[in-house]
Amino acid sequence: MSTARLTQAPRATRQLPARASLRSINLSGLTNSSSSRVVVATITLGAIAIAIFQLLLHIATSSSVYELAHLQTEKRDLTTTTQILGQQVDSLASQQNLANAAEKLGMISNANPVFLRLEDQRVFGKPKAALTADGRVSRNLVPNAAMVRSSVIVAPTSTVAEALAPVSGAAPQAAAFVPAKVNVANGSTAVSSVVSNSGGIPASPTH
Amino acid sequence: MTYLTPGDPKRRVRAIQAFVVIVAVVFGIRLVDLQILEADAINAKSYANRAVSRVLPSLRGDIVDGTGAVLAQTVFKYDINAAPDIVNPFNRKVNGQDTTISVEQAATEIATLTGQQQPEVLAKLIGTGKYSQVAKAVDAAVYRRVKKLDIPWLFFDPRPSRVYPNGAVAGGILGFLDPDGKPLEGIELAQNACLAGKDGEETFEKGVDGIKIPSSAITTKAATAGKKIVLTINADLQYFAQQILTSNVAKLQADWGTAVVIEVKTGKILVAADAPSYDPNVPGKSSVDVRGSRVFRTSFEPGSTMKMVTAATAIDAGKVTPESHFIAPFSMLIPHSNGYRVSDSHVHGNDKLTVAGVLRDSSNTGAMQIGNTVPWQVRRTYMEKFGVGSKPGSGFPGESAGLLNTSNTWANDVIKRYVSTFGQGVSVTPLQSAMMYQAVANKGVRLQPQLIEGCVDSSGNLTKVTKDKAPVRVVTEATASSTLDILEKVVEEGGIGRHAAVPGYRVGGKTGTAQITDPNTGRYGNLHAISFIGVAPIDDPQYVVAVTAYKSRTISNSLGATPIFKAIMSQVLRTYRVPPSTTKSANIKTTW
Repeated sequence: MSTARLTQAPRATRQLPARASLRSINLSGLTNSSSSRVVVATITLGAIAIAIFQLLLHIATSSSVYELAHLQTEKRDLTTTTQILGQQVDSLASQQNLANAAEKLGMISNANPVFLRLEDQRVFGKPKAALTADGRVSRNLVPNAAMVRSSVIVAPTSTVAEALAPVSGAAPQAAAFVPAKVNVANGSTAVSSVVSNSGGIPASPTH
Repeated sequence: MTYLTPGDPKRRVRAIQAFVVIVAVVFGIRLVDLQILEADAINAKSYANRAVSRVLPSLRGDIVDGTGAVLAQTVFKYDINAAPDIVNPFNRKVNGQDTTISVEQAATEIATLTGQQQPEVLAKLIGTGKYSQVAKAVDAAVYRRVKKLDIPWLFFDPRPSRVYPNGAVAGGILGFLDPDGKPLEGIELAQNACLAGKDGEETFEKGVDGIKIPSSAITTKAATAGKKIVLTINADLQYFAQQILTSNVAKLQADWGTAVVIEVKTGKILVAADAPSYDPNVPGKSSVDVRGSRVFRTSFEPGSTMKMVTAATAIDAGKVTPESHFIAPFSMLIPHSNGYRVSDSHVHGNDKLTVAGVLRDSSNTGAMQIGNTVPWQVRRTYMEKFGVGSKPGSGFPGESAGLLNTSNTWANDVIKRYVSTFGQGVSVTPLQSAMMYQAVANKGVRLQPQLIEGCVDSSGNLTKVTKDKAPVRVVTEATASSTLDILEKVVEEGGIGRHAAVPGYRVGGKTGTAQITDPNTGRYGNLHAISFIGVAPIDDPQYVVAVTAYKSRTISNSLGATPIFKAIMSQVLRTYRVPPSTTKSANIKTTW
C-alpha cells in the first residue's frame, strides 16, 4: 500500500503562495517599561502646564493692557480737566477780567499819583481823590475772546461793615467779591487800618 | 511581548526615515524661503494689515512776557464728528431705566452745548456717509459736556489750537496762526523756529476692539514740544497803555494811535501799544491793516519831535550851545527855493530865543536856523546815526526803515534839506522816534531795540537773542546831557509841554504836530499826526515814552498827546518804583 501509493503518479501539486517568513519582535521593552510611561507623562503634563501658563500669562498681560488703556483714558480726562481749569484761571487772571471786576467794585485808578520819599518824608504831587472825571479809563477797552470765565461780583451792600461781615447762607462762589457802596473818596470808613500780611510795604515788583 | 511581523522591518523603517527626511528637507527649504528669503515682504504685508499709525501732534511753545505771564499757549480743541450711516436712536439710562433717545433729541442736546441751531446739527447727522463734521474746534469744556451725552455715533478728534489768554493785550505783536497751525504774523511768524515743535508718530497693532494687541510691536517717535519765547514786554503795562491809548484815540477821533515804552539802559521794549487793539484769538474780526503793529511798520513824517535831533546835532558839532541866540520870526523864506516859505504854527513877532527856547516854543524858523549852522552833509550823517532811514532791528517782522532822502536828493533839493530840520521830508516809525530819544537819554549811545529776550528750552535754559547791531555813539555824553536839559525846559515852560509833567519827577520831552500829505493832492492836508516823546527821570534817565495819534480831529496839536504820555509815564515810574527826583533842572535861559 505504501508502494502503490509510492508508484501512483504524483498529482499536480497545488501552487500555494509562498508564505512570508515571520519574525518575532519583542515589544515588551516599549510597552511595559515604567520609565517610558514616566517620560510620556512628563512630556504631556509639561505641555499642558506650559499651555496653561501661557494662557494665564496671556490673560494677565491682556488684563494689564486693558488696565493701561483705562489709565491712559483717565490720564486724558485729567489732562482735559487741567486744561479747562487752566483756561478758567487764565480768564480770571486776565487784565480784562481784573479791570471789569475792579470797576464793578467801584475801584478807580488815581490819575494823580502822590509819592512819598521815605528818607526825608517828603511828599511829591498833590493828593487828590480818585474820580472817574480824572481821565482814567475804568471800562475795559481791550477785547479778549479767550475769556471763558469772569469774576462774579455780588450786589453792593449798604455799608462797609456789612460788606466785611461773613456772608451767611449760600455763598455765591469762591471767586465772588463783595463791594462796598461807600464812597471812599469823600470820607473815612469803619476800617481803621490796613494790615500787611507780609510785614512790609505793599509794593509792586521792582528791578 | 512578542509580535510576528512580515518582511524586513528595518527596511520599512529606513523607508519611513527617508520619507520623513525628504519631507523635512522640503519643509526646511520652504521654511528658509518663508523665513529668510521672503520674510521681509511677508512681514511687511502682515504688518500693514494689522498695524495702525497715527501722528502724535507736538505742542507749540508758549510766548510769555518779561514777567513770565503767558501771552500765547497751545491747548487742545476738539472736532465733533459723526458717521451718518450709523446714526440711529439709541438707549440711555435715565434714572436707572433705559430710555430711547431719538436723533432729533440728540441733535437738540448737541446744539445746546455747542451753540449751534438744532436744524443745522440735524442736517449734519442725516445721510449715508461715513463722516460728517458736526462742530469744529470746540473748547475742552464743551467737548467734555458733549462727550457726557454718551452718544454712540459721535467721535471726537483733538486738535492743537492756539489761545491768547489775554486777548488783545500785545495782540499786534504776538501775531496769529492759520487754521492749519501755520504762523502768519508777528512773533509767531518771526520766532517759528523756536516755537514750533516736531510731530511724533506711533505705530501699533490693534484688535477689533481698538485696543493694542499685547506684546505687539510699537514704533514710537516721540513728539518734541516747541520752546518758549520770552518777550521784553510787560503785559500789565501793555494793557494799561492800550486802555489809555484806545480811550484817547476815540476822544481825538484819530485814525489810530501808538505808544512805545523803552528801557533806556537796555533798549528793551516794555510796551508797544496800538489802537485800535486787535485780538489774535479772532483774527478774522479785524481788518488786515490792524493785524500787525504800526509801532514797527508805519512810518510818517514826525514833525517837531525831530527838532531834538537838529539841536543835538548842532550842539555836538560845536556850532551852538543850549543858550545860543536866535531870532525866530513867524515865517521865513528858504534860500534859493523859489519862494518856499516856512511858518510857525502860531503868529508871533521876531522872538529872541535860545536853542532851548526854540524847542520850548517848537519854532520851525528857529529850528531851520539851528540846523543851518551845520553843513547839511554833517547833519544828514547825524540823522543816520540817530537811526533815521535804517531798520531798528527789534526782532519784529516787517519793520519799516522809514525814509531819509539820499545825499543826492538833498544836494539837489534845498527845500527837503531845510524842512528836515523840523521833521518834514523824512519819515520814521514810532519805534525809530523812541530810539532817537533813547540815544540822548542813554548818554548819547543808541542801542538796538529789543523785543525778544530769548528762547527757553524744556530744561529752562534761556538762549538770549543776539544783537546784530553794535551800540552807536550818536553824540557825546555832554551833548546828550545838554539836550536832555533842553527837553526838560519844554516840559517845565512849554505851553503844551507842561501838560506832560509828572509830579515828583524831572521829565523832558518834545511835542510834535506833523502835517500829513494828502495822497490825492500831494499837498499837506488839514489833519495832523500829534505826538509827544519824553524821558524820565532826567536826573537818571530810565524810560522813554513815545505817543502818537494819527489824524487827530478834535485836538490838532500835541495837547491831545500829552495826557496819554503823562498817564503812561506815571504808570511806568510807579510800576518800576523809580524814586522821585532829588535834583532840580538846569538853569538854562530860553530867551534873551
